[in-house]
Amino acid sequence: MANLNVDSAKQRTYDAIVIGSGMSGGWAAKEFTEKGLNTLMLERGRDVKHNINYPTTNMYPWEFEHRGEVPYDIQQANPVISRCYAFREDAMHFFVKDTEHPYIQDKPFDWIRGYQVGGKSLMWARQTQRWSDYDFEGPARDGFAVDWPIRYKDIAPWYSYVEKFAGISGNKDGLDNLPDGEFLPAFPLNSVENYFSKVVSNNYAGRNVISARCAHLSVPQPIHIQQGRVQCQRRVLCQRGCPFGGYFSANSTTIPWALKTGKLTLRPYSVVQEVIYDDKKGKATGVRIMDAQTKQVIEYYAKVIFVNAAAINTNLVLLNSKSQRFPKGLGNDSGVLGKYVAFHNYSARISAEYDGEMEWTTDGRNPAGGGYIPRFRNVKKQETGFLRGYAAGFSAHRGMDTNSSGVGKNLKENLGHPTLSNWKVGSHMMGETIPKETNTLTLDTTKKDDWGVPLLKFNIAYDDNDAKMKQDYFEQMTEMFTKAGFKNIQTNDSKQAPGLDIHEMGGARMGNDAKTSILNKWNQMHACNNVFVTDGACMTSTSTQNPSLTYMALTARAVDYAVSEMKKGNIA
Amino acid sequence: MNRRTVIKNLALVIGGAALLPSCLHDSGKASIALKKINVSADQEKFLADVAETIIPKTDTSGAKDLNLHLFVLKMVDDCFSKKDQTAFMSGLDKLSKEAENRFGKPFGQCSQSQRESLLNELDHKQAEFYKAQQANKNAKKEVPADDMLAFYAITKGETVFGYTNSKYFMTKQIVWELVPGRYNAYFPVKNLKPNIKHG
Ligand SMILES: Cc1cc2nc3c(=O)[nH]c(=O)nc-3n(C[C@H](O)[C@H](O)[C@H](O)COP(=O)(O)OP(=O)(O)OC[C@H]3O[C@@H](n4cnc5c(N)ncnc54)[C@H](O)[C@@H]3O)c2cc1C
Ligand code: SF4
Repeated sequence: MANLNVDSAKQRTYDAIVIGSGMSGGWAAKEFTEKGLNTLMLERGRDVKHNINYPTTNMYPWEFEHRGEVPYDIQQANPVISRCYAFREDAMHFFVKDTEHPYIQDKPFDWIRGYQVGGKSLMWARQTQRWSDYDFEGPARDGFAVDWPIRYKDIAPWYSYVEKFAGISGNKDGLDNLPDGEFLPAFPLNSVENYFSKVVSNNYAGRNVISARCAHLSVPQPIHIQQGRVQCQRRVLCQRGCPFGGYFSANSTTIPWALKTGKLTLRPYSVVQEVIYDDKKGKATGVRIMDAQTKQVIEYYAKVIFVNAAAINTNLVLLNSKSQRFPKGLGNDSGVLGKYVAFHNYSARISAEYDGEMEWTTDGRNPAGGGYIPRFRNVKKQETGFLRGYAAGFSAHRGMDTNSSGVGKNLKENLGHPTLSNWKVGSHMMGETIPKETNTLTLDTTKKDDWGVPLLKFNIAYDDNDAKMKQDYFEQMTEMFTKAGFKNIQTNDSKQAPGLDIHEMGGARMGNDAKTSILNKWNQMHACNNVFVTDGACMTSTSTQNPSLTYMALTARAVDYAVSEMKKGNIA
Repeated sequence: MNRRTVIKNLALVIGGAALLPSCLHDSGKASIALKKINVSADQEKFLADVAETIIPKTDTSGAKDLNLHLFVLKMVDDCFSKKDQTAFMSGLDKLSKEAENRFGKPFGQCSQSQRESLLNELDHKQAEFYKAQQANKNAKKEVPADDMLAFYAITKGETVFGYTNSKYFMTKQIVWELVPGRYNAYFPVKNLKPNIKHG
C-alpha cells in the first residue's frame, strides 16, 4: 500500500507546474517544455482546442438564433458580464457568467473572466504596446508606488523574443515614450486617421497618432507558418476564435507548440485551491486541486511553480495558500499581498463627425481597429494637477446610413439601398490608475465556492486622481478635435465601475524590498524562491499601455531565469 | 427549452420559406414553441399581416415569405423584459381592435393603403418618441409607455432587424462577407459598391 502511494505520488510529480493556461500561462508552458522540463499545466475550465472548439467561428449573422443579441434572462442573471462589450451571442460561451462563479463586491467591481484553456487570450482585443522607461521609472519619480525592480533595458530583449513568436503588427514610429518592437507590417491608418495624425503632430510637440500595434499576422513569417498559422484574413470576428490563427492566442500559438514537445501535460477541469508549502522543507512542494467534474481533491508536485491564473485569481490562490510559515498567504511576509491592486480607466469617450476627406472611404476591415495616441501627459516631467497620464484610441470610419422610416415598399427599397455616411470619429481614454493600499482583495471568512475555495471580496474604487485625469482627457481631446475641424463633438462619461477595462493588476507586486513587495526582479517570491508570479498580479504600477504583451515578456524572462537557477541548484 | 425545440425553432426562423404547414400544429396556438408569451393562432396571423405591411412582398420576398413574424415572436419571447412582453401582447390586441373599429374589418382584410396609413401614424409617433429620448440620452432600446406604440416599435424594430439580417437579404439584396481578406485604408468612394456589407 505504502509503495503504491509512493508510485502514485511519483506519477503526480513534474519538473514544473503552471497554474492557468491563458495569455501568460501559455508562455510559461512553452518556455518550460522547450527547455526540456516535464510540465503540468492546470486549468480550471474546459479544454478549447484550436479550430476544433470554436463553435461559432464560421457562422453567418443569420445563423445566430437571436442575430447576436444576448437573451434577456441571461443578461438579467448576469449583470456584470453583460456590461462587457464582447459578451454577445457569438462569443458568450467564452465568458464566465456571474451566476456560475460569484464573488463579493464591497465596492462594485466588474470582474470579467474567461475560464477555459486559453483564458482571456481567446477574446482579447489584441492591442500590444511596449512600456518605456518613463513607465518603469514613474513610481520612483513621482512616488506613487514602490520602485520597479526592473527598467526597460531588462525587458527589451524579451519583448523582442515574444513579439517575433506571437507576431505583432506595427510601424517603427521612433517615439521614446512608446518604444518600437519587432514588427510585421502595420495595418495602415485611413484618410481621416492620417489627417488627424497630421493635425496633432503639427500642433503639439510630443503628441502622436500612430497605427495601433496589434497581435495579428499581417504578413506571416516562417516561424508562424511553422506554428500552423496563416495570414490574418481581416474578418474581425476574432473573439469567436480564429480558424486561421490570424491573431495570437494561447490556443493557436503557445499551447500547441508546447504540446508538440511531448513534455506538456495539460489538465483541464483542475481548480487549484492552493499552493502547498512544506514548513519542514522550507519550500513549496506542489499544488492542491479539486477536479471540477469529479470533485476529487488531488495533489501534484514539482520543483518550481508558476502562478498564472490571471491577476485576481492569482491573488486568490496565494491568499488561500496558508501554512505555519505563511499564515497570511504564501510569500506574504510584508502583508502587502492582495493590496495595491490597480487597473486602467476606460470610462471616457469622445465622438464627433467630419465632413472632409469625402472622396475616400475604407474597404474591408481593420483588425488593428485604427489609431493609437501614446501617453502625452506628465511624460518627462510633472506638468498637471494629477499623477501619471492616459493613452487613447482614435479611429475614423464611414458607415452606411439607411432611411428606415415608414412602412411598405418605400421602406423595403430604402433598406436595400443604404448610403455612405460622412466620417465619424471616436476616441476612448486608457488611463493609468494609482496603486493604493486601500484597493484590496481579501478572502471571505465564511463563504466558499463549489470547489472549496473561499469567495473573494473586492474593495477597489476610482479616486480623485482618476476624476481629474478624465477631465483632462475630455479637455485635451476636445481641443484636438476642434483644431481638426471635427463637428458635433460629444463627450461621454460611462461612469462604469472599475474592472470593465479588463486590465486588473497588482496585489503581488514586484519590488526591490521584501518589506514592501512580494516578488523580486525575476518575478520570484522573495520569501519562497520556487514560486513565480508572471501575470498581472506582479505589476508594480499599471502604465497606460495594454498589459498583455508585458505579461508575456515577463513570463518568458522569468522561466529562463528559473531554469538557469534550477541548473545551478539554487532551486531544488 | 430543450435542444430539439431550439433546433426546430432555428430551422423555422433561419430557413426562411420553410413555413410549417398549419395541419402540423394545434391550430389554436402559435406555430413555434414559446416559453413566456402566450400567442394564439389569430394573434400570430395578425402579427404576420403587420410584418407583411412593414416589408411587403414585391418582386422580391416579403415578411411572410421570410417568416419574419416568427422571428419577432422569438425575439419578444427571449430578448425582452416581462414588462415589454406584456405591453407587446396588449398592444397587439389594441391595434387589432383599432383596425376593426376604423375600417370595419380585420386588419388582414384591409387594403394595403389602409394598413399602411394605420402603421404610418404609429411610425410617426415612434419617431417623435425616439427624438425626445435621444435628447435625454436615454438607452436605445427603451420601449414607449403606450402599449399600442410599444407593440408597433418592437414589431417594426425586430421585423427590420430580422429582414436586414436574414439570409435572403444578406445574400441577395446586399452581400455580407465572412472573409473579405482585405483592408483598403484608402478606398475611392467612386469605386464603392454600396451593397457589400461586413462586420
Ligand atoms: C474583451 C477583452 C479585450 C481585451 N483586450 C486586450 C487588449 O487589447 N490588449 C491587452 O493587452 N489585453 C487585453 N485584454 C486582457 C487580456 O486578455 C488579459 O490581460 C490576459 O488574458 C491576461 O493573461 P493571464 O494569463 O493573466 O490570464 P488569462 O488569459 O485570463 O488566463 C488565466 C487562466 O487561469 C485559469 N484559472 C484561474 N483560476 C484558476 C485556478 N484556481 N486553477 C486553475 N486555473 C485557474 C483561468 O481559467 C484562465 O484560463 C482583453 C480581455 C478581454 C476579455
Ligand atoms: S481578423 Fe484576422 S485574426 Fe481576426 S478572425 Fe479575422 S483572420 Fe482571424
